[in-house]
Amino acid sequence: MTSRPGKVLPAYYLLIVFLLYIPLGILFLFSLNEGTALSFPLQGVSLDWYRGMLDNDQLLTAVRNSAIVATVSGLMATLLGTLAAMGLIRLRFRGRSLLLAVALMPLLVPFLILGVALLILFSATGVARSLVTVALAHTVVAIPYTLLIMMARLIGFDRAVEEAAADLGASYVYTLRRVVMPMIAPAMLAAFLVAFTLSFDEFVLASFTVGREPTLPVFIFGQLRFANRFPEVVALASVVMVVSIGLLLVAERLQQAYSGRVTTQRSSGEGASA
Amino acid sequence: MIQGKGRWASVMLPALFLVAFLVLPLLLMGVMSVRPRLQGGIFNTDWTPTLDHYQTVFESGSFLPLLGTSARIALLVGCLATLLAYPLAYFLVFRAGRRASVLLVLLILPFWTSYLLRVIAWKIILGSNGAINSFLLYSGMIEEPSPLLLYNRSAVVVTLVYVWLPFVALPIYAALLRVDRSWLEAAGSLGATRRQTFLKVTLPLSLPGVVAGFLMVFIPTVGEYVAPILVGGTRGSMYGNIIETFFGDGINWPLGSALAFIMLGCVLVVVVIAVKTLRVDRMLEES
Amino acid sequence: MSKHALAFVAFALMLAACAGAASTSTTAETVTGGDLSVLEWAFYEVPEMWVEFGEEYPDSNVEFSFGASDEDIYAKILAGSGEDIIHLYTPYLQFYVDEGLIQPIDTSKLTNWDKVAEGFKESCTIDGEVYCVPWDWGFSSILYRTDMVPEGVDSWDALFDPAYAGHVSMWDSGNAAVTVSSYIMGIDEREITEEQMAEIEQMWIDQKDVNLFYWTDEAELEAAFTNGDVWVAYAWNGAYYRLLSAGVPVAYADPAEGRNSWVGQYAISADAESYDLALAFLDGKLGEQTATNLLVDYAYGHVVPDYYGVVEDTNLVEALSLDDPGILERTNFTVPITQEQLEAFVAMWAEVKAAG
Repeated sequence: MTSRPGKVLPAYYLLIVFLLYIPLGILFLFSLNEGTALSFPLQGVSLDWYRGMLDNDQLLTAVRNSAIVATVSGLMATLLGTLAAMGLIRLRFRGRSLLLAVALMPLLVPFLILGVALLILFSATGVARSLVTVALAHTVVAIPYTLLIMMARLIGFDRAVEEAAADLGASYVYTLRRVVMPMIAPAMLAAFLVAFTLSFDEFVLASFTVGREPTLPVFIFGQLRFANRFPEVVALASVVMVVSIGLLLVAERLQQAYSGRVTTQRSSGEGASA
Repeated sequence: MIQGKGRWASVMLPALFLVAFLVLPLLLMGVMSVRPRLQGGIFNTDWTPTLDHYQTVFESGSFLPLLGTSARIALLVGCLATLLAYPLAYFLVFRAGRRASVLLVLLILPFWTSYLLRVIAWKIILGSNGAINSFLLYSGMIEEPSPLLLYNRSAVVVTLVYVWLPFVALPIYAALLRVDRSWLEAAGSLGATRRQTFLKVTLPLSLPGVVAGFLMVFIPTVGEYVAPILVGGTRGSMYGNIIETFFGDGINWPLGSALAFIMLGCVLVVVVIAVKTLRVDRMLEES
Repeated sequence: MSKHALAFVAFALMLAACAGAASTSTTAETVTGGDLSVLEWAFYEVPEMWVEFGEEYPDSNVEFSFGASDEDIYAKILAGSGEDIIHLYTPYLQFYVDEGLIQPIDTSKLTNWDKVAEGFKESCTIDGEVYCVPWDWGFSSILYRTDMVPEGVDSWDALFDPAYAGHVSMWDSGNAAVTVSSYIMGIDEREITEEQMAEIEQMWIDQKDVNLFYWTDEAELEAAFTNGDVWVAYAWNGAYYRLLSAGVPVAYADPAEGRNSWVGQYAISADAESYDLALAFLDGKLGEQTATNLLVDYAYGHVVPDYYGVVEDTNLVEALSLDDPGILERTNFTVPITQEQLEAFVAMWAEVKAAG
């Protein structure tokens, strides 16, 4: 057998994370590059692109738009996916397989097609294209993911827990809020993360359903034609990365402080032993 | 967990949403695929339906074989991504302890930068004076930069596996969460080795997540077109590129819609077979 | 709700707040209730690109929405997005005319019309009627590395030359492919027979043996030239200019068949409400200040040759051949084609890409 499993898995995780972050490291290097060509060797170090980026109102607005759309569509998709997962698993009704098939269908449709189809739909119904229509499109394509994640979690969710709570006198709403939700919350977070990520970086659907305000990928794609402004976009990517990691560390600090005060019983994987 | 009069709302709400924003637009696209040509504007109804476009696709000597190739690529990417992601999810659930959610997000973070930019960065790594080639030249393993790393199908596969890897980890992670540690300990105390515990307890329980993850990658990859454009080179085109060519360069939406519907049909057939074979409906019943 | 989820919603909102605080209230152009709406390409919405109109009509509100490509813009107009002014490029003009999406331009009301070079005026004229105001232009020709191709390039068939195998890059466009073939074969791309089309298809299928990749944006192409992957490519003059400025040893061919020139054109929508205001906008585009900004800031040609004197950057003069007055006569302007023809070209290109 291999060496102690305790060493292999963490090492594997670190390796994968390292590989995932290499392209970002390279992007970071290029944001410091003096010239505009995206190849080695670098042409000198300069912070000009970062300065340019901060002045670039449109770039920053596009980031804001993407964050808003991703949050909204992520929440909607998580909600609808969870509801559908609960319904599909607990209820018996004739259209069950049909609903599942329809909910998974966005996975089969190239975003290109869905984008055009939605464009036609919105034009036909007189709905103006805007960040709202982008959020709707993103919700549609995120639902299969949130649904699958929540179904994977809810299958085998032990009824006994709910029944025990009911036996102890808890109302239905209370059970839902204090018993069920905390247990499925990590999976809901995973679902939200997937939906958020999907939306934040999604280009094809956005380009068809966006109105006057662009999302970040749409903006970036439009910038590709102008290679001389491109490094500002690269600078932005570096900043988003650094900010994200910073906020992540803050959240981690908060979480540790919080859980230091409260002891919680968790039955699933996040136990204490390593 | 669902009781009372509100329970049907849990199904109706998602259902209505999907009908409005998925089924309806797709029906419109189906109508588009039997339209002779896109003339007189989108709302013109003065035309007779025709199956010409479907005929064009079937008669072309290269479109359907390309669909087959794309499906094979998707299969490869799906399997590789799932295999590589499983240990990540396992690590996060069973070894990461309290740090799990942080490490999970660390995995996802790169995807908050632009996909386009990350692929371009990989092009630089794989390119002829990129990191890999520079290293190989420096170490004397090759004398000239190798053109084999980029602008071909392999580059497409590597890129797609790289892109999808963290996504696949998520449903596996969610599924592994419901494995109760006490069961593992019980198995251990009953004499099972770690490997047996994994194969007989953990793996089967995580299977819904694995299937979900695989499908999440496989299906959209069949219609992928961005990665082939960026790293696929001259002969790296996939079926999605053909559809995009018709919706993009030419305004031939009817033909593009027909191509899309054919792909939709094939993938649906595959999924139905997979679902029936793996008895997913049985998995649904386990509650 | 779990603390994790809260943390992440908070994070997303913080990110949004950061971006929101840095960008002040949205630029005036995007406030609703505008007098003119324009469907534009990224970067052309800045006031420097319509200086004269902004000065003459300071109270009017101009709103911009964006398209990412010719077909994207066409698709949006077709689906009824309703902008007053559209920035399209040859050869899509015919589509808009055929579908009745744009209306003729009354050139008598344009003060700057006479300054426009003849070739550009013709690109906007269909059956004697002027349907657009040309504005920006550039060349398409063969760009090549002078150190890798010391013998130089004098014909479009360099793109097919086995001597450069693995180092050629063609633009991913069926239309451009047919145009190149039409130059080599000496035929008019509006009158291609079925046999000729089959010949063209085979030409490009064979070309796959020498082609490294089909480029879709200039940044990609420039990177490949810089690191030496690509030696010979179909390219626009923008790439030439930027590579020259970066010190990469490149040259831009003057092929025997003639270069190609594409022209950006502004058209007025058939349903535009304020026709005269729209005309004034287009007239302003032909003004000197706007032209100067276009030439100097964006390195694209402007259709009024009188203004070329402002360009001092020698690389730019070189890239646009501004010091060569005869160049435009030797240039083949892109011709407007019908939707049917484009469909045939694209169908051919799809077959080329799908072929093994």
